[in-house]
Formats: sequence, C-alpha cells, structure tokens
Amino acid sequence: MKILMFTWEFPPLISGGLGMACYGMVKALLALGIKIDLVLPTKEAVYFPLRQESDVDTLPAVFMDASVHRKYLNMSFSSLHERLEYIGISGRPESYIQLDEIRDYLKEVKKETWQSVTTVKEEQELFADMTTHLIGDEDLIKKVQEYTLRAERFARELDYNLIHAHDWLTYPSGMLAKKISGKPLVVHIHATEFDRAGGPGDERVHKIEHSGMMYADKVIAVSKYTAQMIMSRYRIDTAKIKIVHNAFTLSEDIVLTKKRIFKGPTVLFLGRLTLQKGPDYYLEVAEKVIQAHPEARFIMAGTGDMSRKLLRRSASLKLKNKFLFTGFLNRNQVEDILRASDIYMLPSVSEPFGISPLEAMAFGLTSIISKQSGVSEVVNHAFKIDFWDVDLMAETINHLIEQPEECRRIGIEGMQEVNAIRWHEAAEKIRLVYSATLSEFIKRNP
Amino acid sequence: MLNIVFYFQVHQPYRLRHINVLDIGKKANLFDDALNGQVMRKVAQKCYLPTNKLLLSLIKKHAGRFKIAYSITGTAIEQFKLYSPETLDSFKALADTGCVEFLGETYYHSLAFLYDTNEFLDQVAMHRELMKNEFGYFTETFRNTELIYQDKLSDLVFEIEGFKTIITEGVERILQWRTPLYAYKNYSKDINLLLKYYQLSDDIAFRFSDRDWPEYPLTVGKFVNWIDHLTLAEKKNRNQFLNLFMDYETFGEHQWAESGIFDFMQHFPDEVLKRGHLGFATPKETFALSNYQQEALSFPEPVSWADEQRDLSAWLENDMQHNAIETLYELLEKVKTKGDPQLLEIARKLSTSDHFYYMCTKYFQDGDVHKYFSPYDSPDQAYIYYINALADLEERLS
Repeated sequence: MKILMFTWEFPPLISGGLGMACYGMVKALLALGIKIDLVLPTKEAVYFPLRQESDVDTLPAVFMDASVHRKYLNMSFSSLHERLEYIGISGRPESYIQLDEIRDYLKEVKKETWQSVTTVKEEQELFADMTTHLIGDEDLIKKVQEYTLRAERFARELDYNLIHAHDWLTYPSGMLAKKISGKPLVVHIHATEFDRAGGPGDERVHKIEHSGMMYADKVIAVSKYTAQMIMSRYRIDTAKIKIVHNAFTLSEDIVLTKKRIFKGPTVLFLGRLTLQKGPDYYLEVAEKVIQAHPEARFIMAGTGDMSRKLLRRSASLKLKNKFLFTGFLNRNQVEDILRASDIYMLPSVSEPFGISPLEAMAFGLTSIISKQSGVSEVVNHAFKIDFWDVDLMAETINHLIEQPEECRRIGIEGMQEVNAIRWHEAAEKIRLVYSATLSEFIKRNP
Repeated sequence: MLNIVFYFQVHQPYRLRHINVLDIGKKANLFDDALNGQVMRKVAQKCYLPTNKLLLSLIKKHAGRFKIAYSITGTAIEQFKLYSPETLDSFKALADTGCVEFLGETYYHSLAFLYDTNEFLDQVAMHRELMKNEFGYFTETFRNTELIYQDKLSDLVFEIEGFKTIITEGVERILQWRTPLYAYKNYSKDINLLLKYYQLSDDIAFRFSDRDWPEYPLTVGKFVNWIDHLTLAEKKNRNQFLNLFMDYETFGEHQWAESGIFDFMQHFPDEVLKRGHLGFATPKETFALSNYQQEALSFPEPVSWADEQRDLSAWLENDMQHNAIETLYELLEKVKTKGDPQLLEIARKLSTSDHFYYMCTKYFQDGDVHKYFSPYDSPDQAYIYYINALADLEERLS
C-alpha cells in the first residue's frame, strides 16, 4: 500500500502537536510496511519517499525537477541539518508567489471542475467553497495557496493508492489530488478551527475544513471529543468518521531523571500561549495557589499571541518572582523543563487530543488536564477538571503540594500508564481505515 | 553676578544577561560582563577620556575660575576599575585640581529612597566612603538618583552629617512663577536647594545636534548671550545660579564629537569669563554665595528630571515595574537577614534604577529615549530577565 500524505508539520519542521503526532504515526505506519510519499511546506519542490522506519529521521528527499534532483544528489552535506536547510525545511516556506497568479490558478481549477462532465453538483459546490475561501493576504493563507498550487504536480506524477491529508492547511491539496487522480481521500482532524480559536474562528477555515471532510472518503478524528465536534458542528456523516486516538512514544535516548531548578514545588504549563490552551486559567490558578503556598513556582513555557497579555497580567497580580516565563523552548529545553517540574497543568478550553500531557506524564509529572480534551479519554491516572473550574484546580494543586508522596505516586502511575500507549496500535487502526477505504473504493469503481 | 553651576552625572549600570528559567539555580553570572565591558570601553573612548582631558585643560587654563561638579556612581567606579582604569585616573587628576566638586548619592544609583530607608542610608554611606577613598573628597552636596526629590528626602539627608545642599529638577509645577536661578531652601529651611534650569541644560544635552531645532546650530556666542539676558531681570544684585545639569555622556556619546560639542565646551568658559558679571561656581559654593533670604519650597510629591512629566513614571508606572521593584526590596530584606555579602552585592546591583527604566512602556518621544538606552528588545524582555534574576537570587538564598 502506498500513501500520498500531505501535512504541514513534521520534525524538524514543527510548531506543535501536529508534527509530533505525524512523526509517531508515520514511523509506526512504515513499520507496518506501508509506503508513504510525504509532502511538506518546503521551500523547494520536493517530496519525501519514506520506505522504512529510519527514514522519518533521515528524510530522504526527491526534487520534482530531474535536473535539480541530479544536482542535489551530487551535493555533499556536512549534516542532516545542512541538507534540510538546502531543501528549505528548517524554516517556514517564504511566500514568493504573487496573489494574481493564485487567482488565475484557482480560476483554472474551477474551470476544470466545472466543465468536467463527470462532476456532480455537490462536488462543484465543495470545490467552489474551497477555492473561494482560500483567498486572503495573510502569510498563512498565502503559504497554503502556494502549497496547494504545488500539489497538482505531486498528484499527477507520483504513484499511490490513497491520499491522506492532515488538518485544513492541506485539505485543498488533498481535494485537488483526489480530483486529479481519482484516488480515495482520507482526511485527519487533529484540531478544528473551533478548537484553535477557542471561539468561532475564521469563516474561511471552517469552509475549507467542511469541504475537505465532505469531499473525503473517510475522516479520522483523534478523539471522541473531536468526533462529536465534527458531527455536531460540521454535520459530517457519522458513517465516515473513524476515531483513532493519538499515542506517544518517547525517543530512546531521552533522560527522564529529575533535575530540579527550584527547591519548592514546581508547576508547569507547556504549550502555545493562546486562548485554546487556557493559559489565562493557569495564571488564575497560580495566583490562588501562591497565596496558600508561597514556596511554589509556576512556569509558563511557550510563546503565542497571548504572551504579552499574560506577562502584564502576572505583573499586575503581583506574583513576584514566583510566576516565570520561558519564551520559546527547543526540544532539549522542553525536556529540561519537564525534568525540573512536579506538576503539569493543561487547562485547554478545547483540546481535540493533546499529546503534551502524555509527554509530561511520561516524565513522571502529576498531570491536571481539562475535561474538554481528547487525551482525557485515554488516561486514568491524571486529574480531569473542567477548564473553567479554577477553584478545583487550585485545590488539587494545593493538595498535591501538601501531600508530596501522593503526588509522586500518582506521577509514577501515570508514567506507567502512558508507557503502555504505543503508536503501533494507533497505526494498526489507521491501516484498517486505509484498507476499508480502498476496498469500498474498488467496489465502487470496479 | 550669575554663576554657572555645571553638574555632570557619570553612571553605568550592570546590565543583566538574557537569563532564561533554565539558567536558574546554576549559580551562573547574572550580569552581562561582555556587554558591560564593551559599553564601558566604548563610552570611555568616546566620552569620558576626551571630555576629562578637555575639562582638565580648561580648569588649568582658567586657573580657578572654571569649576565643575560630578556625581559618579559606585557601579561606574567599579566598572572603571574593571574595564577602563585610565578613566578613573583621569577623574583623579581632575579631583587634584581643587576645582571639582564630587556629589554624594546612592552607591548603586538606586530608588531605595522610595522603598527602604535603611538601605538608602546604607548606600549613601557606601558612596561617601567611596568618594573619600578614590578622590579624598568629603561630599557635602547630595544628588538623589535621577534628581528624584521630595520633602521627606530633605529630612533624611539633613539627618546625615555634612550634607548642606541638595540638587534637583526645576519643575514648573513647583516653581510656578519663580525662577530656578536662585538658591532655595527645602520646606523646613534646613537644606540649601539648587534647581536645574532645564531649558538651557537640555539645549546642550538633547537639542545640540538636532537639525530640526530652529536654533541649530548652537554657537557659544548665542548660548552665552542667552545666559547674559538672564541677568537683566536681576535689579537687586542678588547672586544668580544657572544650574546646568546633565548626563556626562552628553559629550561625545549622546552628542557625537562630529556635532561640534567638544569645540563648544572648549570655547564656552572663555566666552563666559570675558564678561565680568558671569562666572562659575560649584554646588556647595552656592551656600555661601546666597546673599539673600532664601525662599522655602515644598515638594509634597516626588519629582525627577526624566521625560516630559518629570515624575517617577519612567521607572515606576506600569505593573511590571511595580512588581519587579517590590519583589526586589522584599528579597533584599531576606538577603540582609541571611547575611551573605556576595548575595547582598548581587541584590544591590539589581537595585540600580536602570533595570526599571528598561521596563518602561511609555510611548511617543520618551519611549524612543528609553529604547535608545535599553540593551533589550522590549520592556517585556527586560522584565522577564529581571524577574528570572530575582528568582535565581532567591534560590541561592535558600
């Protein structure tokens, strides 16, 4: 089985949980013998033909232009980093395409789909929805346009049985690939616009999400929580939705032993500082806990659109030097901060899954996660509290600070529990989704 | 007679490293030695050494008729020793002329007066000791950090043996119809007060090289004529004092050598001393020169020489500044109780007012000045590094 996979994040091109999830999933799928051609928002027109597990780390690349590829093969790179730099994976792709060009192209897409005799009305509408909403001047929208432009070539020239697209940024590409190749499409929902925005969000994104899910043959949701969301908010046929929980596998060379920074109990928030993750609730909890336990330290790790607001608010609450901001942390620093902490808290307002709590639990941190998160469906040894219940969260932390033995015990139980959650099982479920999709497809197109 | 009273502020803070949470507890150096050394050497080359040389030659040339005053912070003296010992030597040469007055202030250029009276008195005593040791000078005039002044400061300073004069900003909301050209008394008439004449001070310090300023270029002749005009209003032969107070870094650093600032200073005393009714005095000499009943002025609220507002808002306005400084003084108490001299030194270096100035979020023109002086990208970054430094200090304590 060979998959054409579109995703926006993959290590080292990563900004959040999506990249981590894709990494674990792809690696496990490769172990099952599934071949994957991976398309990322790289600067150069390349794809990554992944054939064995180790390929997820080395990322072998093929340039679409044969002459460029020959040149690339003759290059020698001193490190993986340098090679990826050459491909343009270490940074976000620059937008070098003029908007006019996009408009013309989208007109072409419309023409092709609208004039095609085989196209049914519903399909026309979905494409119209996708193309009319993929318009805007924002950097991100431009990058998605550019990515979508490029998808056509991959769709035509590569050989695959099925298309798998992760989150709305790659849905237009997935749709286009299906349109061009006639191959079935699986879309994966890691987060919807409702989750990310912590509110209604961007209308254009909703439309693109909706078109993608409607046009897909199957929709994979990362939790029951998300499945419910796409049924109720996007009205997607329940028969199409499959739930595959994310998993978590620690890399083998990781060091888990505690390395404290503070002598006092240390509480950690690790995630983007954006409405979705509930960092403002964390701040409120911190204020309450610090009153009872001035020896406690609260770390807020990450960056995001709420950074400034949170910083100023922490100052106005007079949290002294007990509430600290790390700014952006790289992988090693994330591990260091996990090793330095005792309690992990993620009060997400809406979290489709949430890999970060699993990682924290793997480090033995006692975790408090919001009931509004998919990850709470797969773990038992963590506190599950409504994101808005600041009092209960504060009481829980106070209790854990006052009972350090109990805190440690729950942390260890959580660690054992998380160690049993493997990507292998998740990949097995995805493989079943693939084969079911393919057999239905073959039945329909004998 | 109108006496020009020059006072120059010489100060360099210990700037903090970009301290991350992950650096805490590693007992790493909190201060950016490389940057501090670089700044000190640069400012020494551009300002301290050439200006000291120029002023020394002017003092010698005018044989006692040209006089100036300095206030040099402890953190500046320490960093001279570390990064530019020849600068310290050149100040000593100036001290030896007898035409230079050294003012007293807080050793760490701190805002301790507003938060911790004992710490304030300690830092003033440390500074007086330093001036005695380095220059053999006993300070008699007091200058609080950034010319911050209010009535209760005069009470405190009066209690310290030997201080007779305090200098501060000539704030209009206090002076109202009065002129800063006379020496005043503090509200209880115990202390002599000198007020900065900010229009003419700022003509040199801020506007000298501003090509959009209608008076550009500022020539010595023009400037001394303006000064001369000030004497016309005085009909009773009272001695006037034109207090030109500014950062020493004005010379060669804020106003580059190319602007002609050094030429201006070179010819300024000649032009002044050509006129018999103009001369120079140091702040402490004004005490004896005040040949009239001095009016008492009350400053119920603190004033300073910073920004348009001339209040505390450059250091103590937003929540970050308040949380940072309150946490510092709380921690300083704990450090003193613990009695570790190394930690106390760190805490005191963190009391330098510049740290709070970097956290200032005022916009418009003043914001630009703040940005010019800040080694960090934003007030938020400055705050983060500072709070991390305080968290680190607290870990070292326990």
